[in-house]
Amino acid sequence: MDRLRKLRSSMAANIIGAILALLAIFGLIVSVFGFVSFTDAFKNEYTVSTYHMADTATTLVNGDHLDAYLRGEETEEYERTRSYLDIYCKRMNVSIIYVIEVDRSDYGRFVSVFNHVNNAVDDTSYTAWELGHERETTNDEYRQKYQAIYEQGSPYETVYRIRTNDGLHSHITTMVPVKNSSGDAAGILCIQRPVREIYDARRPYLRSIVFSTLLLSLLASVFAVGYLRVHLVTPIRRVSDEAARFAREGTKGEDLEGISPYKELSGLAASIDKMETDTLRYMENLSTAAAEKERIGFELSLASRIQAASIPSEFPAFPERKDFDIYGVMDPARDVGGDFYNFFLVDDDHLALAIGDVSGKGIPASLFMMVTNIILTDRTRMGGGPGEILDYVNREICAHNSAEMFVTIWLGILELSTGRLTASNAGHEYPALMRAGGAFALYKDKHAFVIGGMEGVRYREYELKLSPGDKLFVYTDGVPEATAADETMFGTERMLAALNEDAQAAPERLLRNVRRAVDGFVQGTEQFDDLTMLCIEYRGGSARTDEPTREE
Amino acid sequence: MLNIIKTVENGKAVFTLEGRLDTTTASALEKELAESLEGVSELCFDFAGLDYISSAGLRVLLAAQKTMNRQGEMKIVHAGEIVREVFDVTGFSDILTIV
Repeated sequence: MDRLRKLRSSMAANIIGAILALLAIFGLIVSVFGFVSFTDAFKNEYTVSTYHMADTATTLVNGDHLDAYLRGEETEEYERTRSYLDIYCKRMNVSIIYVIEVDRSDYGRFVSVFNHVNNAVDDTSYTAWELGHERETTNDEYRQKYQAIYEQGSPYETVYRIRTNDGLHSHITTMVPVKNSSGDAAGILCIQRPVREIYDARRPYLRSIVFSTLLLSLLASVFAVGYLRVHLVTPIRRVSDEAARFAREGTKGEDLEGISPYKELSGLAASIDKMETDTLRYMENLSTAAAEKERIGFELSLASRIQAASIPSEFPAFPERKDFDIYGVMDPARDVGGDFYNFFLVDDDHLALAIGDVSGKGIPASLFMMVTNIILTDRTRMGGGPGEILDYVNREICAHNSAEMFVTIWLGILELSTGRLTASNAGHEYPALMRAGGAFALYKDKHAFVIGGMEGVRYREYELKLSPGDKLFVYTDGVPEATAADETMFGTERMLAALNEDAQAAPERLLRNVRRAVDGFVQGTEQFDDLTMLCIEYRGGSARTDEPTREE
Repeated sequence: MLNIIKTVENGKAVFTLEGRLDTTTASALEKELAESLEGVSELCFDFAGLDYISSAGLRVLLAAQKTMNRQGEMKIVHAGEIVREVFDVTGFSDILTIV
C-alpha cells in the first residue's frame, strides 16, 4: 500500500501510467480495427475465389438436362458429369459440391441432382445424397438466397458459417445458378469449403499487433522515464532541494538559472534565485535596521542621562542650608524632553529658581532646552535681575533660532536673608503661592511673551515678599494639561486641590501628592507632554544661621 | 482631532479650526499654511470651534504671524476662554491681533 501511495504521489509514475494507458487503448483500437478489416478482406477474397470455383464447376453441368437426369434419362451424360464433378471435388479440395433443383413455389423444398462429398478435406462425416433425394430447405437464409438466384438473376450467393455450434468447422457455402441454354437458372450448384485459413492467418496478425503495441508501450515508457527524469524530475528536484537548503541554511546557493531550456522551469528557477537574493537582502536590511534602532536606543538612553544630569537631581540639594527646602521633578513623556527646572545659589544670599517649557517634544525640544538652560544659567550667575537676564536670553536664542521654536520661562531670584523674590515670567504658567499656614492659590503675575519668539521683547520684573513658611510651586503645562481618556484635562483647580491636600507638608511630599493625583486622574492614559514641577519652602533668614561652619 | 476648513479668495485666507491644536495636529495646520499663504495679504483664524491649543500650536501661529508681518496682516477671531487664557499666559496676546 505504501508503495502504491508513493507511486501515486510521484509525477513521473503518473505520467508513465498515463502514457501506458493511452498506448493500451490505442493498441486495443488498432487491434479491433485491424481484426475487423482483416476479416472482411479475407472473407471477400474467399467469397470471390469460391464464386470463381463454383462458376467454373457449372461449366461441367448441362443445365438443359437436369430435369431429364431426375427422370432417369440421359444416363450416360449424367454418369460422365458425375465423374467430372467427383474429380473436381477431390482436386479442388472442397468438402461438398452439389447441384439441386429448388421448388420455386416457396423455395421450401429441393431435390438433389448431383452430390459429391470429400470428408477428408475438413474432417466431416457427410453422406452423399442420391439422385432425386428430396429435402426441406433448412432455414430462411438459404430460402432467400435460392430465391435471389432464381428470380433476381444474382450471379452468386454466399453463406458463412463461422464458429458454428453444430460441431462443424467454420465453412463457406457459395451458390451459383446452373443455367440452361436460354440463360435461365435451371438449378443451383453449391460448393462448401472450410475457412480455417482465416483463423490461421488472423492469429499471427493479432499476435503481431499485440506484440508491437506492447513493445511500443515499453519503448515509450523507457523514453518517457528518461526524458522526464532528465528534463523535469531532476530540475524540479534541484529547485526543491535548493529551496529546502535555503530554508535550512539561509545562505545564497548556486544560481539555478539555466537549469532547464523550458521556460516554465527556468522561470521557476529564476523565481527561486530572486527570492533568495531578495530574502537575504531583506534580512540584511532588517538586521541593519535592528542594529540602527539599537544604536539610536542606546544614544537616546545616554542622552536621557545627560539631560537628567544637566539639572539638579540630588535631594536634599543643600543639606547644609536650613533657610529653605527645595524639591523638583522632571518626567519627559519620551526619553528626552523639552522641560527643565533649575536652581542654584548665585551667591550665598541669592537663590536662582527657574522652570521652562520648550514648544514641542523629543530630541529637538531637548536640544533647545539644553541650550536655553546653559545660556540662562551662565547669564544668571553673572548677576542682575530676572528681567535683564531674560532680555539677554531672548536675544541669544532669537539670534540662533532656525527652527522657530520658543520656550516659556519663569525665573525668580530669592534673596534668602530677606525673603524678597524678584521674578519675571516669559509666557510661563502662573506660579502657585502658599502663605504660611494658608492654602495654595495661583499667583497671577505679569506675563511677557515667550523666549525665542520675537526679538526686542522687554521682560518686566515683579517683586514678592516671602515670609518664613511660605511656599512657591511652579510647574509646566504637563500638569494642568494632563489628559484623561475622555479628553478632560487635569486643570489648575485639581492641581491646587492636590497641593492643598496636605499644604503644610515638605516640598518633596507636595510634589508626590500632585503626581499621585495626576496619575489617578489619567488612569494610565498615555501622556504626550513632559511633566515638570519645582517647589520651594522659604524658612526664613534666621534659619540659615544653623550652619555652624558658615562665616557671615 | 483637528478639523481645518480653509477658504482662500483674492488674497484673503480664512482658517476655521475645530477641535484641539496640539502636538499631533499642529503639523497638519503647518502644512496647510505653508501651501496657502503665498500671495495672501489678509489671514484670519476663526477659533470658535477650537477647544485647546498647546505650545506646538502656538509655534505654528507664531510662524504664521512672522510670515504675515512681511506680507500683510493676521488676526484671530472668536477665541474661546481657554484659548484666550493660553494666549494671555504665554504672552501671545501681546503680539497677536485678537479680535
